[in-house]
Amino acid sequence: MDDLYQEIILDHYKYPTHKGILEGGIEAGEVNMSCGDSLRITAKVEKGKIVDAKFSGGGCAISLAAADILLDMVIGKKLTEIKKMSGTEIEKIMGVELTPSRKKCAYLGLEVLKKLVNV
Amino acid sequence: MADYKKLFPLLIKNPDLHYLDSGATTLKPQVVLDKIMEYYTEYSANIHRGLYPMSERATMEYENVRKKVATFINTKHESEVVFTSGTTASLNLVSRGWGEDNILEGDEVVISEMEHHSNLVPWQELCKRKGAILRYWLVEDFQLVMADMETYIGPKTKLIALTQVSNVLGTVNPIEEIVERARKINPKICIVIDGAQAVGHFKVDIQELNVDFYAFSAHKMYGPTGVGVLYAKASRQLQMSPENFGGGMIKEVHKEGASWAIGPEKFEAGTPPIAQVIGLGAAVDFLSGIGMETVASHEKELIDYAIGKLEKYSNIRVLGKKNNRIGVFSVVFNDEDMGTAHDWSSILGSKFNVCVRAGHHCAMPLHNLMGLPSGTLRASLGIYSTKEDIDAFVEGLIEVRKIFEETDNG
Repeated sequence: MDDLYQEIILDHYKYPTHKGILEGGIEAGEVNMSCGDSLRITAKVEKGKIVDAKFSGGGCAISLAAADILLDMVIGKKLTEIKKMSGTEIEKIMGVELTPSRKKCAYLGLEVLKKLVNV
Repeated sequence: MADYKKLFPLLIKNPDLHYLDSGATTLKPQVVLDKIMEYYTEYSANIHRGLYPMSERATMEYENVRKKVATFINTKHESEVVFTSGTTASLNLVSRGWGEDNILEGDEVVISEMEHHSNLVPWQELCKRKGAILRYWLVEDFQLVMADMETYIGPKTKLIALTQVSNVLGTVNPIEEIVERARKINPKICIVIDGAQAVGHFKVDIQELNVDFYAFSAHKMYGPTGVGVLYAKASRQLQMSPENFGGGMIKEVHKEGASWAIGPEKFEAGTPPIAQVIGLGAAVDFLSGIGMETVASHEKELIDYAIGKLEKYSNIRVLGKKNNRIGVFSVVFNDEDMGTAHDWSSILGSKFNVCVRAGHHCAMPLHNLMGLPSGTLRASLGIYSTKEDIDAFVEGLIEVRKIFEETDNG
């Protein structure tokens, strides 16, 4: 818990690689009512693969950093692979074990992405 | 300042803890825990039934709390004190038990923009069911716009439901003035007050307030969880239907139908939370022993100290007024990219031993109104709070900022 706000997370939060909106992409969004987090992902899909994706919205550092990390992971991946992904893969890259309340924040991006690939 | 921390076993066990979440729930003093334990170990019988001494004692202790609460909040009759499971249950009991029979299509119900969801959603639902109109009293500069009162409250207004103290802003609403003006417009108006954030902080006098219903929880005033009170004026009780049916609330039951007990029992079906009610009695004794004036002045000193300290930081914004408030402080940072209240609260908890709450504090409309959809960070005081706790909170908050400020690109 002490290590939650370590450099990797703060870096992704303050200097995200994938923040923005892809015009003409497919999109999905979700809100985490208890926190006020809202996240939208837009993505370009070619031949069953995500070729580019961006996220936008507002939320805590954990939810936004996790979304950026997630997009790092999925760009280039097949939609069928994304459907099988679980939150623990993000947690591994974040390098911390999350408490139940912070899992909600960290998994928000994946929740949105799953919605998007199922459209 | 008197040291009240030594009266709370949790704080004795955790001397480095800065518990600043009393608005959510207060810690429990030893005397309350002892009284609950005494019930379970010495006379743990059901009430209102047994004719053996142990049950008689349980009944006496339970009913004695009704008397204590009545004296504590100065009701006219002891029978106006109804035990519920908490403020939320109390407010739902009014909306169902009174509202269902007395609010009709086209009637108006007025609530404010600073209500906790538990004093908002029950009315929203009632109005939906009955075809009544829900009107929101505007909040500006962290308080109700008093000049506008007569534009919200008119001859069609059947009910006003307001909080006495905002759980986000700390603002104390001028209930007596509101009641007086509202009764001039419509003498029959039903006035419901959410007192969850008031009763444990200053003297509440029901007869002076002259309201119809008043709701509060034991666990926000040093008592146990699972029990609360609905003050229901005697004349209003006669207009109410019970919400729950079963044992203890009936007069007679026949195969064809039943009739109800008269008095608070009508609303207390089933075995009540006996131990918790008895614990509430001990909490009332605890507060009366200190004296509500002492409680209020202890908190006032800390409020002034906290505001003075927070004001020095231009990048911290404190919501709420300086005066006429209780010790609930919701803060945000003035700039972007500093995370949200959830981040700050999580770091304050794990690195600085400071317990504060993050989010909407069950008041989403108020946060949207203030343009703070990600919520706020809330610190709230209790009798055991000290200047050291406030120092730890403010200093921790400055350190939290540094964590976000010091992240370099790359």
